[in-house]
Amino acid sequence: MSADRRPRPEPDSITKFHWDAAADRRLMLHRCRSCSRFQYPPDVTCVHCQGEVFEHVEVSGRGTIYSYALVERPLHTGFVDALPYIVLLVELVEQPGLRILTNLVGASPGTPLACGMPVEVDFEDRGPVTLPQFRLAPTTS
Amino acid sequence: MSSLSRSVAIVGVGYSELTRAGEPNPRSLTLAAAKAALQDAGLNGTDLDGIFEYKFGPESPGAQEVARLLGVPDLAAFADIFPTGPSGLASALVGVMAVASGACETVLVFRCLTRAAGYQGGAAEGPETVGGHEQFLTPYGSGLYVGGILVDVALKKRRWMAEYSRPEEDFGRIAVNARRWAVRNPRAVLRDELTMDDYLSSRTIVEPLRLLDCDYPISGAVATVITTAERAVDLRQRPVVVDAMTYATGKGADWTFDTDFLYGGTFDCAERLWRRSSVTLEDVDVAQLYDGFTPVTVSWLEALGVCGRGEFGDWVGDGTRIGPGGDFPLNTAGGQLAEGRLHGISFLNEAVLQLRGQCEDRQVPDAKVAVVTSGLYPQCSAMVLTAE
Repeated sequence: MSADRRPRPEPDSITKFHWDAAADRRLMLHRCRSCSRFQYPPDVTCVHCQGEVFEHVEVSGRGTIYSYALVERPLHTGFVDALPYIVLLVELVEQPGLRILTNLVGASPGTPLACGMPVEVDFEDRGPVTLPQFRLAPTTS
Repeated sequence: MSSLSRSVAIVGVGYSELTRAGEPNPRSLTLAAAKAALQDAGLNGTDLDGIFEYKFGPESPGAQEVARLLGVPDLAAFADIFPTGPSGLASALVGVMAVASGACETVLVFRCLTRAAGYQGGAAEGPETVGGHEQFLTPYGSGLYVGGILVDVALKKRRWMAEYSRPEEDFGRIAVNARRWAVRNPRAVLRDELTMDDYLSSRTIVEPLRLLDCDYPISGAVATVITTAERAVDLRQRPVVVDAMTYATGKGADWTFDTDFLYGGTFDCAERLWRRSSVTLEDVDVAQLYDGFTPVTVSWLEALGVCGRGEFGDWVGDGTRIGPGGDFPLNTAGGQLAEGRLHGISFLNEAVLQLRGQCEDRQVPDAKVAVVTSGLYPQCSAMVLTAE
């Protein structure tokens, strides 16, 4: 089996907590201590109030599909073996407009999708790092 | 009266040959467009004291090289502007600001690009690990190293259709319209009419984004000469005055995580433009709106106020109103979808030609006011132009 050639994140002092948490199977975001709003991706300051003190908070990992796109042709050599893949923009339940870009995992190609469908976090190991990903949430009805 | 501190006019427009095949020399393309724009204005290189270029790849010559080629004695201001700006119109906007401020008297702005610039299909080599902002995009198969903004635009197209419960045909109206005009533009590279079926059956690049949603890569150059409205009166062409201009980013400026995911900065841009302008949307005779991707043009139309958010499909109907003879003539050269991808300056030049009455088969009768927009999402800009 060939190695996964997909590119990996390079954690830095600002983002390390997020990737470390993923390795523990937890979705962790940072929240501004001044205005209590979440922010994704993590950055050096709060884009809402410019506060610079954050706390790292585990979130539920639940959300809905805000949008999705299907990549069937290679755009980057690292993804040639991963085609086709679905890019998901997920809106998390914690805060309106709080969105995270991930892939849909655990669904066979052709699974019907729609904006608004509930999804939940999953985790994918890629070499030395782990990435938060999302899968369709089980329907309760 | 212009909203600028010194009234500014567009006095020369020029193009190189636009081609789909071959590998023309970018320096030759740039020189051809620059000389054509100067000749159009009745000026020479010795009349210039500013040059501004919008640069996407390394292929096009810079401002200093062009100054040397044209025999410009000296430049009072110059810049090669990188593509974090609002597409190619950025060079013209800086040129306008340079003249308005008095930093320059007469400037040349240009954009040269070849088919090799920008995404053309196929997989690019990319880094194995990615830091900074891209660490949240690249590993998921989107962003700078993975097709640039293709995935983002596909996500925006999908979300627009879902949010407003609209069919894909709405975007097809923009693609079909481009060809209807291009048939009448000898410069355009794609001059065959399209049907909605052609649009709906074109292959997907990143689903739901189709090939015919995307602009068409060409090799070519486009140039514009800008000077004071006062000086313009004595030059060769009927002056076209910059009534208002602005940039915009929108809040949370970003391709993926922008606050207004569907429109980016287009609403901020349009609102400021109309606030500064001496005219209103009702006065507009012809619109040249960026069409790097069809969802971009829809975002501009709604932001400019032709209809409410998500109402483009109802507004445009069967597309007649944006075509030749319609009440809102849109992208009369065929835009980047059909004339070919030259980035924003080509929209400016076409607006100028329309306001001078020089567009022959595609001329909008008695056009006096034009609106031009360039760029998309976090990188927006717009101008209102009026014929004197």
